[in-house]
Amino acid sequence: MNTNSHGHSLGQPLAIAGGIAALAVLPFLAGNAYLEHLLVLWMLYALLALSLNIVIGYLGELTFGHAAFVGVGAYTSAILSTQLGLPPLLGLPLAGLVAAGFGLVIGYAALRVVGPQFAILTLGFGAILFTITNHWVDLTRGPMGITDIPPMAIGPLAFDSARPTYYLVLALVLATAYLCHALVGSRTGRAFLAVRENAPLAASLGINVFHTKLMGFVAATAIAGIGGAIYAHYIRVITPDIMGVHNVAALIIVVIIGGRGTILGPILGALVYIGLLESLRVAGPLRMVIFAALLTGTVVFLPGGLISLWQRWRNAHKSENNLPATPTGLPSTEGGAK
Amino acid sequence: MSPAANSGEILAVSNLTRIFGGLTAVRDVTMTVQAGEVVGLIGPNGAGKTTLFNMLGGSLPPSSGSIRFAGTDCTGAPSHVMGQRGVSRTFQITSLFPSLTALDNVRSAAFRTTRAGWGAAILRSPAYRREEAELRRKALEILAFCDLDHRADTLADAMSYGEQRRLEIAIALAAEPRLLLLDEPAAGMNPEEGQRLVEMIRRIRARGVTVLLVEHHMRVVASVCDRLVVLDHGVKIAEGPPAKVLNDPEVIRVYLGREPVDA
Repeated sequence: MNTNSHGHSLGQPLAIAGGIAALAVLPFLAGNAYLEHLLVLWMLYALLALSLNIVIGYLGELTFGHAAFVGVGAYTSAILSTQLGLPPLLGLPLAGLVAAGFGLVIGYAALRVVGPQFAILTLGFGAILFTITNHWVDLTRGPMGITDIPPMAIGPLAFDSARPTYYLVLALVLATAYLCHALVGSRTGRAFLAVRENAPLAASLGINVFHTKLMGFVAATAIAGIGGAIYAHYIRVITPDIMGVHNVAALIIVVIIGGRGTILGPILGALVYIGLLESLRVAGPLRMVIFAALLTGTVVFLPGGLISLWQRWRNAHKSENNLPATPTGLPSTEGGAK
Repeated sequence: MSPAANSGEILAVSNLTRIFGGLTAVRDVTMTVQAGEVVGLIGPNGAGKTTLFNMLGGSLPPSSGSIRFAGTDCTGAPSHVMGQRGVSRTFQITSLFPSLTALDNVRSAAFRTTRAGWGAAILRSPAYRREEAELRRKALEILAFCDLDHRADTLADAMSYGEQRRLEIAIALAAEPRLLLLDEPAAGMNPEEGQRLVEMIRRIRARGVTVLLVEHHMRVVASVCDRLVVLDHGVKIAEGPPAKVLNDPEVIRVYLGREPVDA
């Protein structure tokens, strides 16, 4: 089936296959439950960051509301399974749907404005959802949170420990990565980028800017909701803190440090975040200061995120190796000279 | 496509007016453009040319009057609707997708002419694969048309000014417009680049695209336009073939100063 018609070298599919294989054997190398738990957290953050990247990276809009949709998904599936006894497997798509429903309503209202005003609106909506969750004790048990959430299960297969959960979330990360890959290679995704790059020009070409943004926003919130549900059934306890400002900041940091607008960037950013979060545990509350410094440093010195280091190296490498064969590959490296 | 697509009136503007607060930027302008024509819109700074363009492109609703495009009333239609109907435009200030490559600029711009969306891309449907291959071919053809094929992989941001202006036209053409609105395409160009632009506009017309352009370079206007429309203070003061309009004493007075034109 693979025709490679668009000039991709065979190296790319091989590298992807190798990467997936490496991710698949990671839990066996981890050796202990704590490291396996960290792997699950990495994949969860990667999933959520990939979804946030649709808004920040592809649509070019900053949102402070993403954690709220993660929370909506987590609470949806947790409430459905603890109060109605619904199997978590059914709760998962429902969590995505409910989060997308909230995304649709909030996006419909907030996407009338763009830029900083949109970001502030999402902050407001996020705070409203947090407050409701915190105070609607009958439904959410308020600050006590929901406990004894059953683990995810597919038939006889229970995801009640780190290792199986890791594979479940890994599968979702890979699926989401593929969705994003398909997106940017499609008419829809190119409209996203056009809107990000130059909205008036995009409109003049027949692209409905508002609908395009709303579509991306809703897709992102749906994936966030599914990620939240997985989290709830893995940790088995959720509190309104999942929607808190801490999580909002964490997801933005992951996307920007990793590299917005790319697929590998958010996955890499999640690894760096979880890795530093754990290794800096001794630093206590200072950790967030360190993350803030990292975020600032990235924005100033490496606006393309960590992934851009690799892209730079690859471009330099490419032009060295392929110069005689494909001279057209060269000019893109001139970008920095402007 | 019906025969009417290549003949007859493609754009009919009647009594179009736009008022900003106390200022009437465009007053009661009535004009038509025939399919296949190249029409120049000229006038001194502040004459209302760009305001008229913005109304035609849908980014500015008229205060009164009407716009008919290809037989359909488009008065007040928003920008993306005008784009979908086949009106493409360039902007006075360079306007492209800066951090995309030239090829991706053109591919993104082909939104109107493509159909296979996200779902088709996820499934890699045969229709999607066919369309992508066709889109790539067409995009490279348009880049070649604008003399940019050697820059296909270059970021728009990293291009020279002249290249960027040509890429803007490539973007507009990618939408396969029926009417192309060019807002001062020769601005900032040297005479040689201007001459290249004239040739490009002729080739655009040969593709079957009707062109309406705002331009200050009289050499460009006189050599490429079939007809000129002159605005002054928002009012149409003259209309006709360039040789006649550019020698009209009223046009010379308001627009070109008091000296006669040797265009």
